[in-house]
Amino acid sequence: MNKRVLAVLGTVILGAGVIAGIGTYVAAAKNDSRVLEATPAGTMVTPQGTLPHATLAISVYPDSMAGSHGDNGGAHPGYVTYGPVTNFEVPAHSVITMTVTNYDGGESLNNDYFARVRGTIDGSATLNGQRMTQISPDAVGHTFTVHGLAVGQDEFFVSVPMKAVAEEDMPEEGYTSKPNVTVFTFITGGPGEYIWNCEYPCGDGTIAKFGAAMSTMGYMSGHFTVKG
Amino acid sequence: MTTLTQQKEVAPKKSIIEKLNVFTALALGVISAIVVWRISLALLPQDSESARLFSREDKITLLSMCAWFVGFMTGIGALVGPFRWLMGKDLSHSENMFLAGENMGPKRYFRYTTDHKVVGIQYLFITILIFFLGGGLAMLIRTNLGTPEGGWLHAQAYNSVVGTHGILMIVGTIIMVTGPFGNFIMPIMIGARDMAFPRLNALSFWLIVAAAVPLIWGQFIGGITTGWSAYNPLAGQAPLGMDGYIMYICIFAISTMVAGANITTTVVKMRAKGMTWNRTPIFIYGVVASVALALPAFPVFFLSQVLSAFDRALDTSFYNTAGGGSGWLYENLFWIMGHPEVYVILIPAIAALMEMAPVFTRRPLFSFNVAVLGIAGISGLSVLVWAHHMYISGWAPLLNAPFMLTTELISIPTGMLFLVLVGTLWRGRIWMTMPLMSIMALLWNFMIGGVTGIYLSDVPADAFLHGSMYVTAHFHFTLMGAGLTGAIASLVYWFPKMTGRMFDKTLSWIAFWLVQIGFNVAFIGMFLVGLAGQPRRVESYAPTFNTANLVTTIGAYIVMIGMLVLLHGVVSSALNGVKAPKNPWQAKTLEWTVDYPIPLENFDVLPTVTTDAYGYGKAKS
Repeated sequence: MNKRVLAVLGTVILGAGVIAGIGTYVAAAKNDSRVLEATPAGTMVTPQGTLPHATLAISVYPDSMAGSHGDNGGAHPGYVTYGPVTNFEVPAHSVITMTVTNYDGGESLNNDYFARVRGTIDGSATLNGQRMTQISPDAVGHTFTVHGLAVGQDEFFVSVPMKAVAEEDMPEEGYTSKPNVTVFTFITGGPGEYIWNCEYPCGDGTIAKFGAAMSTMGYMSGHFTVKG
Repeated sequence: MTTLTQQKEVAPKKSIIEKLNVFTALALGVISAIVVWRISLALLPQDSESARLFSREDKITLLSMCAWFVGFMTGIGALVGPFRWLMGKDLSHSENMFLAGENMGPKRYFRYTTDHKVVGIQYLFITILIFFLGGGLAMLIRTNLGTPEGGWLHAQAYNSVVGTHGILMIVGTIIMVTGPFGNFIMPIMIGARDMAFPRLNALSFWLIVAAAVPLIWGQFIGGITTGWSAYNPLAGQAPLGMDGYIMYICIFAISTMVAGANITTTVVKMRAKGMTWNRTPIFIYGVVASVALALPAFPVFFLSQVLSAFDRALDTSFYNTAGGGSGWLYENLFWIMGHPEVYVILIPAIAALMEMAPVFTRRPLFSFNVAVLGIAGISGLSVLVWAHHMYISGWAPLLNAPFMLTTELISIPTGMLFLVLVGTLWRGRIWMTMPLMSIMALLWNFMIGGVTGIYLSDVPADAFLHGSMYVTAHFHFTLMGAGLTGAIASLVYWFPKMTGRMFDKTLSWIAFWLVQIGFNVAFIGMFLVGLAGQPRRVESYAPTFNTANLVTTIGAYIVMIGMLVLLHGVVSSALNGVKAPKNPWQAKTLEWTVDYPIPLENFDVLPTVTTDAYGYGKAKS
């Protein structure tokens, strides 16, 4: 081939390669790159029949001294965060039981819609062992809300409120010894990648409380992957 | 008795100016930023729990970025002249010659060099770099939108890519003509030895380099998740990356103001003897109109970002409604800059094509006075249209009608420029070069951009179309389809004068057709999804929009290939291109009267102008 044509092709390939490199880097930039895989737990009988069962256990902390940000809290030690990581992977067409231990306080939701349990088996969850379908919108600490456009993948929506730890139970230092434990179970569809986030405005200190931890990757949002 | 003393030859002591370059600037900038970061980290008090805003991290970030800026500008040598002046001892002649880059070779491109030709090449390099990065980000956006579900990029990373692409391209398009060609070509075209304020010229360029670092820095601390407009209070809630945006804009605004004052003064005061306003080339009018518009617009942009920084770092409430401020204040400040800025981009690009039209049709510019009136009319009206970006914001419903009127009126002077171009082409002796074909492309693209703009200027139509992909397609047709087309034509046209070599003809044609075809495929597809209701700035979309989005993505890839071919053409032509004669296009403006390499002061004897630059004879009968 003509040397000149080769040189032009080389530039195009090199340029496209640099752009692809930047793209790969940006695509990998999810701040918290680690993934917590659900633990297989046999099978479970559900309204849809007997399905494989898996469990996930996570927590919500009032700061970043726990979770995925290291012992010193990382870049934003004061940010509220989910942990131990913020990216989760669960099997497709399975029953998933999630346990969320909330060590944080809270106030009122902007939108009462998220005070109700949605998308779980029979629309309920347990709070500290007691069955519940909703909590007071004025006592919500956080929510775990998975949603995404049902485009090219199964529709998937789960939203569960986490009860806030009472103010008198929040210690000056360290974490409360009386966290609220919420357990909920839902059924996954086919494979897909979804985003989850907290719907309680907990980016304290910034306007409308949707800044800071709420608008930074790896704290109150992450990826929820359903793997086939 | 004689004593023999060994005499050592002592090298003359280097002055501080000779020691400074881009490497000292980078080093001093980084060191300053780290030192201030550590100090502010240690000394700034923690935010109070009762504070409405947590601002400590913003304070630390902004202070560190300011330190970078001061350190970089000190390290490049920008403060030597002013400091000496303050001490009552200005630079010596030899120091000024050193600053001008006399006999320095390629090193002068890495220093605070004042020669306008060096600054022009520096601008050309940074413009290409900005377009490469901004274009690369566009490819990430289009790749993510290739399928409805998106998901290749994290949603927040996607938002940041969109915002960064936007602001990079806006800055790139603002400087793409006035930077390289306004600096390199304009002083020679008016018969001047240099710019009026050579040190300000160097300052305007190095400010852009200094501005780039906070923008890149911002990408690693949360990114620019607000889109290029950085509306408040959204920007107030955004991650620390917004501080990078704020610094980037503030520094760039200073650069634009400095360049504007310099170019305006140069044209007004330094035109060659006999170059009356009627004999001044139309390109000069375009450049002056552009910077004259930027002069009042960019201080407002600067101010908008200073207030944004205050809100973020000092807990003020300029834009925070909860504290008594108003998001509308930001919108007004932003668009008071933002709409004239569209014409800051467009006018010099169109003027450059008007400059080329007579050359490649071998006939005078059709109605020079109408061209000047058109430029003046657009410039005048462009400062009265900003609120058409805010029809739906609820800011001032009663003003919608007047702003609709002023916006639609601007199509009249714009039509005048079309008339001048078409009139010049009409019965011209067409010399089918890539720059001439670019005029045709501009007429096509700008017609689509202009007509779709009229719909957006119409309040009822805008109520439906605003915030949709239709808007995105519209402004790409104007800024890229018209503006960038003019800039690329300028590059090919003035390449021989800037490098001494001809731009590879074959590559220029291949790049032209790839870019123009790809561009039209991409953005006509975008009009279709916009009309169908797809909102802009979304990471995923409904499947009904899939086909047109895929077409747009394919078009974007074709543009990318075309631009890379162009890039190859720039590098290979500059290194190995055919040596250019003094006046390869047989043009009549003054820059074609000087040999390459152009002497430091351009002319041995300053020229005297006796006619206009368009004496090519009559049109074909």
